[in-house]
Amino acid sequence: MANKNKMKVPQGSEGFFFEEAYIHRKVTEALQDLFNSWGYLPVETPVFDLFDVYRTLIPEGEADKVYRLIDRDGDLLMLRSDITLFLARQMGLILSEKDLPARICYSDSILRHQNSEDISHNEFFQSGIELIGRSGFQGDLEVLLLLGKTIELLDIPAGIHLGSHALFNSVFEAFSDSQKKKILKLTSLREFDEIIEICTPVLVESDAQAAAALFSFIGSIRELDELSDKLKTKSESVYNSAVNELNYLGNVIRALDAAGLAGNIRIDLSEAGSQAYHTGIVFQVYMHGMDTAVISGGRYDNLLANFGINAPSVGFSLLQRKIEPGIGNRKRFTLPDEIIGMEGEDIIESFTKAEKIRKEGKTVIL
Amino acid sequence: MTEKPLLFALPKGRLMEQSKDLFQSMGIDFSFDNRKLVAVDNSGKFRFFLVKNSDLPTYVNHGIAGMGVCGSDVIYESGHNFYKLHTFSYGGTKMCLAGLKDAHNSGNDAALKIATKFTGFTRDYYHRKNKPVQVIKLNGSVELGPVLGLAPYIVDLVETGNTLRANNLEVIRELADIKVHLIVNPAYYKLNYERINKFVEDIKEGERLWNPDGLK
Repeated sequence: MANKNKMKVPQGSEGFFFEEAYIHRKVTEALQDLFNSWGYLPVETPVFDLFDVYRTLIPEGEADKVYRLIDRDGDLLMLRSDITLFLARQMGLILSEKDLPARICYSDSILRHQNSEDISHNEFFQSGIELIGRSGFQGDLEVLLLLGKTIELLDIPAGIHLGSHALFNSVFEAFSDSQKKKILKLTSLREFDEIIEICTPVLVESDAQAAAALFSFIGSIRELDELSDKLKTKSESVYNSAVNELNYLGNVIRALDAAGLAGNIRIDLSEAGSQAYHTGIVFQVYMHGMDTAVISGGRYDNLLANFGINAPSVGFSLLQRKIEPGIGNRKRFTLPDEIIGMEGEDIIESFTKAEKIRKEGKTVIL
Repeated sequence: MTEKPLLFALPKGRLMEQSKDLFQSMGIDFSFDNRKLVAVDNSGKFRFFLVKNSDLPTYVNHGIAGMGVCGSDVIYESGHNFYKLHTFSYGGTKMCLAGLKDAHNSGNDAALKIATKFTGFTRDYYHRKNKPVQVIKLNGSVELGPVLGLAPYIVDLVETGNTLRANNLEVIRELADIKVHLIVNPAYYKLNYERINKFVEDIKEGERLWNPDGLK
């Protein structure tokens, strides 16, 4: 039986070695260097924390993936399953208003159950940034610009899909929280016929259809403008509730375009936020050849209030282990082509020679 | 630059034949020659994979195939979330609770004992109705369950009811309509949505004009 257990690997854990681990470290360093150069400073979060602190903030369906344990005092703990949440608590403990805005970055492992079928999701390691204490357009734009530079650094074939939880909230304002939750889920699954069905008792049918059409939209800024015009004629009430947020998204895209970073961005109104704490823009980055989004982010202005500091926040997190196999121009992160082996019997002589060669930036083994 | 073909999984069996016939009527021509399981269509726009019905959601979930044709029963059992962008007019059936004829089965016992291939669906269906249920997993010939006394009830797909009747069973209750969907991996859709939307429009139009009577 002991031998049988040796072959088992618990779900949600992985080990990786040698060149793969080398590349991972180099990619982590490159990301951290980029984030640091934008003024984002590193933070480390604890590996486990009290489950009760996060209980209400963990999205439905995610709680069963969290590894829980009981400490010697009988408190229920959870392992770090998502860095954003753990980070929010730490920031709530250490930040005060005079520290804002705070720019932080992280690279760390996450521990959560993955079904054996979903093991290829590779959700083991997150790197990311958070901009705390900067609300609205300036903050959103800073984070999206840094996202663009991150994708550029990794040289991955990716598309950014930008949506808005604020838009969702303004259109479905009249609905109860539980109805909104249901509509949000259906929006993420593009089940628009069901959305019309749920909405019809609250909205007139033409408004329900207009709302469903709105949240099915994916396209360019030009197509968004066309959609906006159509919406105005089809449903004035949905148009009126949506127009401010649609204009906001349009302004974000135009600003990114001016910076030369809008090429791979699509406005995708079905991206309305998968996390309960989202409040403003939300975005996901999809990469060719990957089965799920590889980078997720957005604005969550109320999350930190749960932890004692009322500061707006926006950020993103990338599933680094998932991205690593698809990184372009990999040479930057791989072991040097030439590894010099010292010959000769005298190890001290070899050591002295090797030290000289190493100073030239080369790798030498004794 | 030539676009990469869309990756499409088809389930072995009748659904594949019907789908192939529909696609052919739309000018998408392909065949799985010499027991091959991969085929590219005449235009090079699609690469088709022939997979076992119950494995199809796994291939689409992992993005190995971007999309596929799949019944809602199989989707449900897989537990995965997909975009269901079209419901096909063919392949529909019903999920039913059945039991021995004249056994005075009400289907209302305190704890139903049910043999089925569809354990997830059955458990969830009765739990949603606040009814405890004991589910016995079978992989085929489910009708034998009540006949041999393994369980008084079965939950299974019923099309004509001929197999039930041949085994002295009857439908006690229809539990759900089962439809066949075009399923798409969400991430795959996001990166190929323009081509996929166009394909969905083509399918809708193709199905409107399709005459499946020529099916063998």
